[in-house]
Amino acid sequence: MFGYVRPVRAELKCRDFDLYRATYCGLCRCLRRRYGLLAPMFLNYDFTFLALLLWPPETDFPTCYGRCQANPLRKEPMCLDSPALEQAADESIILAWWKLNDNVQDNGLLRGFPYRALLAGLYPAYRKAARLRPAFDRTAQQNLQALAQLEAEGCPSMDRAADAFAKLLQAAAPQEGTRSRVLSQLLYHLGRWIYLLDARDDLAEDLSVGRYNAVAARFGPEGDDACLRLTLDQSLRLMGAAFQLEDFGCRTAVLENILYLGLPLVQRAVFDGTWSEIKKQKIWSNRR
Amino acid sequence: MKDPYSTLGVSPDASDDEIKKAYRNLARKYHPDNYQNNPLADLAEEKMKEINEAYDTITKQRAGGGGYQQTFSGGYPSQSRTSSNPTYARVRNLINAGDLGTAERLLDEVYQRNGEWYFLTGSIAYQKGWLDEAAQNYVKAINMDPNNMEYRQAYAMTQQSGGYRPMGYNSMSTMDCCTTMLCLNCLCGRGCY
Repeated sequence: MFGYVRPVRAELKCRDFDLYRATYCGLCRCLRRRYGLLAPMFLNYDFTFLALLLWPPETDFPTCYGRCQANPLRKEPMCLDSPALEQAADESIILAWWKLNDNVQDNGLLRGFPYRALLAGLYPAYRKAARLRPAFDRTAQQNLQALAQLEAEGCPSMDRAADAFAKLLQAAAPQEGTRSRVLSQLLYHLGRWIYLLDARDDLAEDLSVGRYNAVAARFGPEGDDACLRLTLDQSLRLMGAAFQLEDFGCRTAVLENILYLGLPLVQRAVFDGTWSEIKKQKIWSNRR
Repeated sequence: MKDPYSTLGVSPDASDDEIKKAYRNLARKYHPDNYQNNPLADLAEEKMKEINEAYDTITKQRAGGGGYQQTFSGGYPSQSRTSSNPTYARVRNLINAGDLGTAERLLDEVYQRNGEWYFLTGSIAYQKGWLDEAAQNYVKAINMDPNNMEYRQAYAMTQQSGGYRPMGYNSMSTMDCCTTMLCLNCLCGRGCY
């Protein structure tokens, strides 16, 4: 997706950093095993967070090591396959598929070509993922279609536009029990937050090419940072309030780090314009 | 019943002070103020009840059965206020029951839109997570009926940020922008390897 959902490394304990890495690398391996060599391309922080969130609470996590596909000489902490990782992997493939479809439609025949090529490569993986998670596939397709329609109509309500994307993410929550209520509230607001923050981030670019932008549609071309920040903070607050109601075992610390430090920092970086530089940096290396 | 010590997240040989501290921290976490209008307020209320019971049990045990410690007892406001207009009263009940679709349809049928109409529309938006629309509707409600405290309270909820944060997660909110940059760089780094 967008990579907005990440921990603040400086504030993580070594143990929690290992857990995060192990989940990230585990998700990568899970994607590769299930969907082939192309699939790790769609690995990202957002779905690592989803895997952490969906993991049933455990008091401790077993440290496992595995060889990194990109660099087989290196052994990294790596989670073994688990239902949470598999779900995150399946859903990231489904979402990547529908996002690519959107990109193909947005771009012309020539400029859309790289996307078409990727789509063709991704098709077998998508078929498998859609067979495994038919409900999520349906919701993703419906909501992205609804979103595309709202964008085509130039929907003036940014809440309504964000709602479609938020509902999509919400569908990743389990379907029954109190845990489902808590997680779906959390994921709804995470989706809303991501959509609106992304709109704020793309504001200048969207205006220059004349694309729909939810923030511009609500506040005008200048945007209104104070007002937008308030509503984003509200979503963050509601995410926190929901998060506190469930037990996440040994993953609590890293999830808290992401929710209470990572997201607010990313939000701040998007508002003051430093995000574009940070986003470009290589993920696990020290190069700047 | 669950072990009261594990409910509070302390060990059975924790000191009285530690227990009190743990209790206070949890009570702050699940305080009704953090869950006003929140669709998950009932879960928070349950948590609060559990914590209160655990704390009561422990303090009674430790005082030899005779002691009594005051625990937090506050209400989780679930829009208990009633309305003179029967449609609005029904809408309030529907919102409390979580049936937002029917509530919305009922409101759509009302032609004369007063402050309460906008307030209820705002409440539905808030429950759906449409925070910006909620705030806009609350403002309209307040403009039409400036003396209504309920509307003002609801609007104030949409204007506050922060809420409860666990210990140690507040320090970074006051960082300047250079530090922000530095910290975000860190999260991309590999550092100690």
